[in-house]
Amino acid sequence: MKLLKIGISGVRGIVGETIVPELVMDFASAFGTYLQIKKVLVGRDTRISGPMLHEAVLSSLISAGCDVLDLGICPTPIIQFMVRKLEAGGAISITAGHNDLKWNALTFINQEGTYLNVFQGEEVLDIYHLGKFDKAAVDSLGKLEKTENYLDNYFEYLKKYLNAEAIKKAKLKVIIDPCSGAGAGVIDVFSRYLDFELIPVNNEPNGYFPHDPEPRPRNAQEVASVMKVVKADAGFLLNSDVSRVSIVAENGEMLSEEFTFPLIANEYLKRKQGTVITNHSSSRMIEDVAKKRNCLLMKDKVGQSFSIQTALNEDAVIAGEGSGSVAVLEFQPAFDGFLTMGFILEIVASRRKKISELVEELPRYHIVKEKIYCPPTKVHSVVHEVKKLFIDRKMDSSDGIKVEDENGWVHIRASATEPMIRIIAEDRSRENARKRAEEVMNFISTLVK
Amino acid sequence: MNRATSLKISVSGVRGVVGESLTPQLVAKFAQAFGTYLGRGEVIVGQDSRQSGTMVKKAVLSGLLSVGCKPVEVGICPIPSIQVFTKQARAMGAIAVTASHNPKEWNGLKFLNKEGLFLNYHQVDEFLDIYHQGEFSLVDVDKYKVPEYEENPTEPHAKKLLSYLDVNSIARGKFKVAVDCCNGAGAVLAPWFLERLGCQPVLLNCVPDGRFAHHPEPLPENIAELCRTVIKNKADVGFVQDADADRLAVVNEKGEPLGEEMTLVLAAKHVLSQKPGPVVINLSTSQAIDDIAAEYGVPVIRTKIGEINVVETILSLEEKPAIGGEGNGGVILPDVHPCRDSFTAMGLILEYMAASGKAVSELQNEVPRYFMIKDRIDKTQEETYRLIKEMRKKYTDKGEISLMDGMKITFSDYWVHIRPSNTEPIIRLIVEAKSRARAEEMVGFWRREIAEISKWK
Repeated sequence: MKLLKIGISGVRGIVGETIVPELVMDFASAFGTYLQIKKVLVGRDTRISGPMLHEAVLSSLISAGCDVLDLGICPTPIIQFMVRKLEAGGAISITAGHNDLKWNALTFINQEGTYLNVFQGEEVLDIYHLGKFDKAAVDSLGKLEKTENYLDNYFEYLKKYLNAEAIKKAKLKVIIDPCSGAGAGVIDVFSRYLDFELIPVNNEPNGYFPHDPEPRPRNAQEVASVMKVVKADAGFLLNSDVSRVSIVAENGEMLSEEFTFPLIANEYLKRKQGTVITNHSSSRMIEDVAKKRNCLLMKDKVGQSFSIQTALNEDAVIAGEGSGSVAVLEFQPAFDGFLTMGFILEIVASRRKKISELVEELPRYHIVKEKIYCPPTKVHSVVHEVKKLFIDRKMDSSDGIKVEDENGWVHIRASATEPMIRIIAEDRSRENARKRAEEVMNFISTLVK
Repeated sequence: MNRATSLKISVSGVRGVVGESLTPQLVAKFAQAFGTYLGRGEVIVGQDSRQSGTMVKKAVLSGLLSVGCKPVEVGICPIPSIQVFTKQARAMGAIAVTASHNPKEWNGLKFLNKEGLFLNYHQVDEFLDIYHQGEFSLVDVDKYKVPEYEENPTEPHAKKLLSYLDVNSIARGKFKVAVDCCNGAGAVLAPWFLERLGCQPVLLNCVPDGRFAHHPEPLPENIAELCRTVIKNKADVGFVQDADADRLAVVNEKGEPLGEEMTLVLAAKHVLSQKPGPVVINLSTSQAIDDIAAEYGVPVIRTKIGEINVVETILSLEEKPAIGGEGNGGVILPDVHPCRDSFTAMGLILEYMAASGKAVSELQNEVPRYFMIKDRIDKTQEETYRLIKEMRKKYTDKGEISLMDGMKITFSDYWVHIRPSNTEPIIRLIVEAKSRARAEEMVGFWRREIAEISKWK
């Protein structure tokens, strides 16, 4: 079975199997044909396969008559920022985010700097399937330009948005592990702008990842091990395109990535009340935070495309997911790891509290995230079958199945990126959370042999 | 060009029209097929200066990376420099992004083996089989390589040229040299090269941006600007390169174009006077070469049309040939590299001027004078094939016939060569005689003869 996932805002697959020059070129050509403003930004993360996709994308966009501003290796949130700054028609970010090295993907970004919405994504797909791409004659081929110094544009904007004075005064010591991804090297610029002492880990953009590029406790060992030794105030793990962050507290506790969003929302909603957007798989912590701050919480399907689109439609102030993604809409409508880290530092600095103390302000739940293999052709029917387990219970089926009671919940859905069914369960007690997940896992394993 | 066939896949590579047939997808597939053919390793990637070069090159890089090759980019670079560099760098092979002398809407790929030579017929066959079968050795990420960029790819070529040529003697001539690079790849080396030879260059169209100031084929009708420049600047000689800098045409000190046939004639005369040896040329190259070779008592070996045929013959001969080439301004000096090289041609002609102390127009008058006319008639390959079959019967005992490539008949005072074109659906009709009047007369005769014989079928 070859793995290829065509989503609303992009295409993702295994390099050498489905991610080959021709497929990348067809998608990039379709995107270039779709764009109204023929000016596109292109950036990528550090994966060893990156140049193959990058060259294919540049060639195709030029051929479709699009002028291209090449950002080289660049975190996705900075690409998103630059789309608006340079008034481009859109962008392609070449990254597979938290997936391991054998994956790569194209993410399509629109004029507003957000992932394509359903309508835009479908139009690109229609063009892709039709295979009728714009082919410019030699005099109208797109021009290729390298864009330099764009990091300064972004970090000046970030510095202005945050309370940089407070962060500087606090003289923070911060460990960041960009997992040798697109954040590598860029975190140095980040630290200079916000005036904190940076202790980098895995900061070489060498094309390989030292561990899974998914920010979560099991990948946080390296950061946690130096945390106490150097007496750092905060530790951060990034995914390969800096759209997700997980936190390690000053006492070395490797916080679940579920904490990132509620920690920020708890502070931000104090300053600015408004609607909060999350997905069905995220921890209840955010519900409690929204309730405490008297804000409306809305849930949508998993994925940046849905969350941000809904946030814009609902005029929400903040959006986030349990995977460690946070978007503060007035800053930019994008999951942004730099803003996330900067905001946490600002809270620590301005409230003069340790991260472990900030965590204490949140209710504690225990979340269990499991996944089980399922052939792509059966995932949805298997998820449907699981309903039989909960015949007499109230179910929410807007994204897979979610069954809730006052102590916790379990959410079963097909993965958007892998041939897997994801089972996420949460409860006040660790044991019960595990039980909730295991019940479903056991049932599914009888269906998928 | 005939747009009905805007894509040409032949022994000399792939050529197509940008915006029509030459898409990124097609280019990437050829690069994948070539990478699969070579195996995983270093592949040099160079380009001429065409505007579409970036688009095509990036598709090549993507294709090579996907099959586990390590592309080494050399940027805009003359074809002979790419050839020498490929051999010196011990790469597996090279892809040159170029459409040679075709107009600017064209671009294409030329494929080189590890010797820095164009693939021969057998190699092209094997490689095209892989392309047509469409099974490329795509690799997993653990076999991916990191691409590189070479800053100084012309250096090995320049070194070879300077060590072969008598630089001191040329420098003493203090020649003023007008050079027209046609804004092609030659521009990255020509000004530096001429200065190193102690010449005073007058540069024309030396910005390698692919905006061809004139048709990029160095024919007399395309080089009026160079002729004027020679006169205005009182230059000793004028040179014009084609877009990928493998061919050269010469203008004398009076601003008169010599005709592209004369480039090899003058170069051969000079080389043979220094170091006699066999000469390898194609069937359509001027009779003047035979006369000069006879002077020095060396054999002339004729080959089919196409650079690779001349080169293969050069490499297969037991006695190393002194020089080879084609009448279209392509000079091949095996001591530098077995490839057509406009820089070698420039160097040899300057050396000749220095050694003889004569002006180009004088040198021109010293060689046997012939007039060649190149004509074309619309005909398919199939029609040409049948036509030649008929003619062969009719002319079997009327002259000396060669069937090596189409049909060439040598009569006492002229020769005629009739062959199907490799790149277009036409017959090429070439006649060479001692006088212009005779050449014109015989072209007329053969046009009528072709029309007559075509009626028979």
